[in-house]
Amino acid sequence: MTDSPALKILVADDTPANVMVIQAVASRLGHAVVAAGDGREAVRLYQEARPDLVFMDIMMPDMDGLAAVRDIRGLPADRWVPVVFVSALDRMEDVVRGLESGGDDYLVKPVDLRLLRAKINGYAHTLALQRKVRDYAAELEGWREQAEEQVRLGAHVMARLTDTAGLRDPMLRHFNQPADNFSGDLLCAARAPGDVLYLMLADAAGHGLPAALSAMPLTQVFHGMTAKGFSLASIAAELNRKLKGLMPADRFVAATLAAVDVRNQTVEVWNGGNPDAVFLDDAGGVAMRWPSRHPPLGILAESDFSGETQSARVQAAGDLLICSDGLLEAESPHGDRLSLEGVVDGLARAPLERRFQRLVDGLETHLDGGAAHDDVSFMLVRVPLERRQSVRMPVAAQVSLEALSEWRLDVSYGPAELRYLDVVPAALGVLGQIRPVQAHQGALFLVLSELFNNALDHGLLQLDSAVKEGLGGFELYLQQRAERLATLTAGRVDLGFHVHEVRGEAVLDISVRDSGQGFDFTSYGEGAAGEGDARPHGRGIALVRNLCRELIYEGCGNQVRARYVLA
Amino acid sequence: MQIRTEVNDGKGVLTLDGRFDFNSHRDFRAASDKLLEDAAVKEVEINFSRVEYLDSSALGMLLLLREKVDGAGKKVVLSGLKGTVKQVLDIANFSKLFAMRD
Repeated sequence: MTDSPALKILVADDTPANVMVIQAVASRLGHAVVAAGDGREAVRLYQEARPDLVFMDIMMPDMDGLAAVRDIRGLPADRWVPVVFVSALDRMEDVVRGLESGGDDYLVKPVDLRLLRAKINGYAHTLALQRKVRDYAAELEGWREQAEEQVRLGAHVMARLTDTAGLRDPMLRHFNQPADNFSGDLLCAARAPGDVLYLMLADAAGHGLPAALSAMPLTQVFHGMTAKGFSLASIAAELNRKLKGLMPADRFVAATLAAVDVRNQTVEVWNGGNPDAVFLDDAGGVAMRWPSRHPPLGILAESDFSGETQSARVQAAGDLLICSDGLLEAESPHGDRLSLEGVVDGLARAPLERRFQRLVDGLETHLDGGAAHDDVSFMLVRVPLERRQSVRMPVAAQVSLEALSEWRLDVSYGPAELRYLDVVPAALGVLGQIRPVQAHQGALFLVLSELFNNALDHGLLQLDSAVKEGLGGFELYLQQRAERLATLTAGRVDLGFHVHEVRGEAVLDISVRDSGQGFDFTSYGEGAAGEGDARPHGRGIALVRNLCRELIYEGCGNQVRARYVLA
Repeated sequence: MQIRTEVNDGKGVLTLDGRFDFNSHRDFRAASDKLLEDAAVKEVEINFSRVEYLDSSALGMLLLLREKVDGAGKKVVLSGLKGTVKQVLDIANFSKLFAMRD
């Protein structure tokens, strides 16, 4: 006995005794039998009862077995049903005729019962295998349809998430070619308040849907926090926290975050697990590079995570290149790979305006019609040398004075908060909810950043702007700033905001006071730092003067008041 | 990828040989789980000296191992790091996550 399931067997014979013989053997083996007395009935029962196996006599009244089998074989079939002729005709040409009419086997009467039993068992086994294969095929087809549907949905959502207006920034060219149906590399770009261009190139482990799933949560955090002007360090920490919370331990995302500030001529980068970001100046020299300093996002616990960035001042116009390792691991048909040095070298040799295209073409030539085995993506950001101090600001909508009521907020920050808080976006987050202020957030971000940073850097941390002068000065300044902030034990920065009406105008008064020793603000007066002054540390205040109705230093220079006109 | 397991004096060593990538998932998990279940093993060493290639899913497997090792109160050490394997681990800054020795 086999473990094959029970069969339904159609037996066609005009002699009831013959039917009973087969029926007896079959039912002892656990199978069911349907009996037909002639060929025509056999064809009808074949369609009605859908048997798994047929035993067919040849010589029957009305329609003989050969004709019945030809009819049966002419019916549409979705599976194989073996037909065994059972006949007293025992010449070789009878057997051949039977097989040619569509039979699979031929038994000569009288049938040996042991042979009959063995035949039934054999067919039961084969049919069970066939059924299993058919079930697998159906299951596979189901999986395939489901997978296709998931891919379709994933590709749709990923395309919506990744095709944002920010990527069409005039300073940016980007490339993203998936290895699978869609990419696990995610590119984002957006302007922060103050016109700083924020960029993210995230490469989720693996490719296809699982990789894209890990990349998806990143877009909203990036765009939301960039729009509010949070620092790269804060954004990186939040991205990490989000991924760590959502993803299993073996899923992570290598990422490069960059902030390109044309006004202040700086590039700031956080790189966790991606190839070096490289700044290639117009002369073709590598002016700066930012190797990976951190593990990828989504691995470290919040308490172990570091959002520490590396900043550099742009000394000459050039292009910032950020890429995923897919670019460097893309293999040519000969198994060669591109190196970062090779890529940079190729860029350096290309005419300035052709750099991006050269990289795209170079990759195509390298792959030579083949496909990369990982997602390939890169961004090339054009960074001009610029000394302009005005900032492009969207024109604010008019605020009706009737809607204005007086509003006031005072906040005070001590050393601990100053260390871990992104003070400016945090304060603006509250201030920005006041309706007359909403449309001005970009300008106010600049004003408040400038005033707050002066208070913290020069007031509390007693940093000297002169340090910034000269080669490497900016980096040294940032280093000193980080060290002093880390060890700051006393001092406060107080911020005050007051929305009110003055002579028919809605204004916002911002006051910033620090507990430091103040500074000689006369050297930062209108004469000293006017429009066109190229000294980096004076330009910020000149900008604030441009944006505000008035700017007044008070006390020993540890206090400043700015009046900004809302409407 | 072939995996050889040795246990000596409280230390379990997995010597990996070949390409450490997604296809090694089942074997690597089986081999490392076995060491983690062995109460006598206090330290798990992963020897990479014969690994010619390592992809991001291999990094994921190491991260899973790290989590399990922490849970089991044992230690994990990566050894025999050189060439592209070392490069991949360096870029991912895995030295901040794993103890490493030559």
